[in-house]
Amino acid sequence: MKEWQKKHILGIKDLNKEELETVFTLANSFKEISERDVKKVPALRGKTIINLFFENSTRTRTSFELAAKRLSADVVNFSSSNSSLTKGETIIDTIKTLEAYHPNIMIVRLNASACLQSFINYTQASIINAGDGRNEHPTQALLDMFTVKEAKGSLENLNVLIVGDIGNSRVARSNIFGFQRYASKITVCGPPTFIPYEFNEMGVSVSYNLDDVIGQADVIIMLRIQSERQDDLFLPSLREYTDKFSLTPERLKKVKKDCLIMHPGPVNWDVEISSAIKNKIHPLILKQAENGLAVRMAVLYLIGTKKREI
Amino acid sequence: MKILIKNANLVNKDNINKADLLIQDDKIFKIGINISENADKVIEAKDKYVYPGFIDSHTHLRTPGREDEEDLLSGSQAAVKGGFTKIFCMPNTNPAIDNDGLATWIIEESRRIGLLDIYPVGAITQKREGKKLTEFNALKKSGCLCFSDDGSSVKDPLMLRKALEYAKMTDSLIIEHCEDNRISNKGAMRECFISSKHGISAIPDIAESLIVDRDIQIAKYLDTKIHLTHISTAKSIEIIRRAKSEGVKVTCETCPHYFALTVDDVVSSNFNSNFKVNPPLGDKNDLEAIKKALKEGVIDCISTDHAPHSQSEKELPFEYAPFGFIGLELAFSLINTYLVKKGTLNLKGIAEKLAFNPAKILGLTNCGEIKEGYPANLVVVDVDKKWTVAEEDIISKSKNTPFIGKELEGVIEFTIYKGKIVYKK
Repeated sequence: MKEWQKKHILGIKDLNKEELETVFTLANSFKEISERDVKKVPALRGKTIINLFFENSTRTRTSFELAAKRLSADVVNFSSSNSSLTKGETIIDTIKTLEAYHPNIMIVRLNASACLQSFINYTQASIINAGDGRNEHPTQALLDMFTVKEAKGSLENLNVLIVGDIGNSRVARSNIFGFQRYASKITVCGPPTFIPYEFNEMGVSVSYNLDDVIGQADVIIMLRIQSERQDDLFLPSLREYTDKFSLTPERLKKVKKDCLIMHPGPVNWDVEISSAIKNKIHPLILKQAENGLAVRMAVLYLIGTKKREI
Repeated sequence: MKILIKNANLVNKDNINKADLLIQDDKIFKIGINISENADKVIEAKDKYVYPGFIDSHTHLRTPGREDEEDLLSGSQAAVKGGFTKIFCMPNTNPAIDNDGLATWIIEESRRIGLLDIYPVGAITQKREGKKLTEFNALKKSGCLCFSDDGSSVKDPLMLRKALEYAKMTDSLIIEHCEDNRISNKGAMRECFISSKHGISAIPDIAESLIVDRDIQIAKYLDTKIHLTHISTAKSIEIIRRAKSEGVKVTCETCPHYFALTVDDVVSSNFNSNFKVNPPLGDKNDLEAIKKALKEGVIDCISTDHAPHSQSEKELPFEYAPFGFIGLELAFSLINTYLVKKGTLNLKGIAEKLAFNPAKILGLTNCGEIKEGYPANLVVVDVDKKWTVAEEDIISKSKNTPFIGKELEGVIEFTIYKGKIVYKK
């Protein structure tokens, strides 16, 4: 394994294939730790990690927190409402304040796209992106890809179908950049109001009809419909969405036998996926959560064992 | 008080005249060869160029309301450093400049400061809410020559129609910020593949041209004049070009950043909030269209859209930061660097776009040209001197500009306002 060079993980678009493979190899070995009775290794003992969340999150934050603890790092959570991004103390002030504690890693989530790069000059700590607006959610894509690799043995030349609100989805963007490293053919599918402007320039195919494309997919990623981000303008009703884009028992019959169906969670059952097929779909989604922990341990390990540059 | 400028190249929009220029009291007293007069001050201007005082039709002075970002004094100092002797300040202040009391106060304050003329632009509608016209007549009497709800368009086309009609009575100019902010949808940059790739909320270029088209149609229908500010897209320019050829009384201006930067600079800045401006920076096609339109006269003037913002505001993430750059101190050098040195305009073009045309369009008299008898508002410039924009050299209270660190050509050496040297390098 080549020595890890990256100080930060701001997006999958900054990672090459070799780096992705490093994460997967390491995640694989970390999975075993979580299955032990004593789930702790001393890899990051004495390191300080701050979960800096400006947007509500329980699952991602918990996953990062557990990952840090299992590596014996000291982890603290700093949560703040989104409103603090727009007035009073700026996020840069917050980062400078936390920098006074000399953390090794800051794990940042916030509701503004593509601004993490502008923060790195204000801290010596490594920054890991835990979701920045609609831009990227790199550890989600890493865990998705890891799950696919685990199930299929390889990530090469797959047909990957991403269904849902592509425009608002950082999960979609990170997965696109990731799977493209493996020459995958990616199709994004959803109502046209969910597909960003000139999105085909990303090198993806665009479909407005799930029934047309579902049968070719080796991997399907069903995105969460984020009702909190929906403007009435973009979707007339959930009923209409469900009719066209929900994974129903009928549509499930059309998918390839070895197709993997994933969801970043939490699932809105009967919106993205019919609850009638929950028993068939849910186990892999839970596996994603399990793998998420291993992937985040791998990422924290790679970033955290690098020396803190003074 | 007499000032003699020796051996200058006097630049007007149609000619460059090598001569001496004598200022007596507040007037240009005499222009001629070898004026030998005992002056109180002699400026040797060999190899320098002398321009009529620049006029900025679009400045934000943040007064009243955000005097921490700019006030009338700091804005005046920044303006004269940039060679401006007349600036028009936009009414999107807090409270808005929508009444004659406030307009009068600004004019009186600017006279007390005495560095240049500040002309408040009156709001078109009360509180800039788009609901009720302001008192154009009272505002005009207090000194407002034009009206704008800048920061937004007049949303309601009926209200715009009424404003254009009512403005005929006072022979005032309506200045429109062209943006359909419903289709801008709280965007932070130009909608393009890059905005989609990075998931950044974005403004399509048609947000501007939709309103340009609407406004031109209304102005044409009413046969009234209208002035469109900070034009930034190729599509808008096409519409304006056609309207002008049909005889519609439309005039427009652009700003230096629209011919100096593109959306690619936003990306290479890593979405630095100092690159966020409204209208947003366009693509290469827009930039070329703007240069062509400046050359052909489709775009009449260049304004700064000087928009000071505090450091903490510009420290916000790109999507949340406010729009705008400061521009008063850089405008001349940017025009010289990006248009004159690259052959789009010649030196006379600067006189046209920064002095003659703004004067004519905004309804100013006895200015915009170097002429005997005119008030002595003049700028002496070195067009070849290079300098690098540094934050510590900025006079404006706010330092938000994407040009920090850029090397530019052209330096203002003296600014003379009513016969007094108000700025000296």
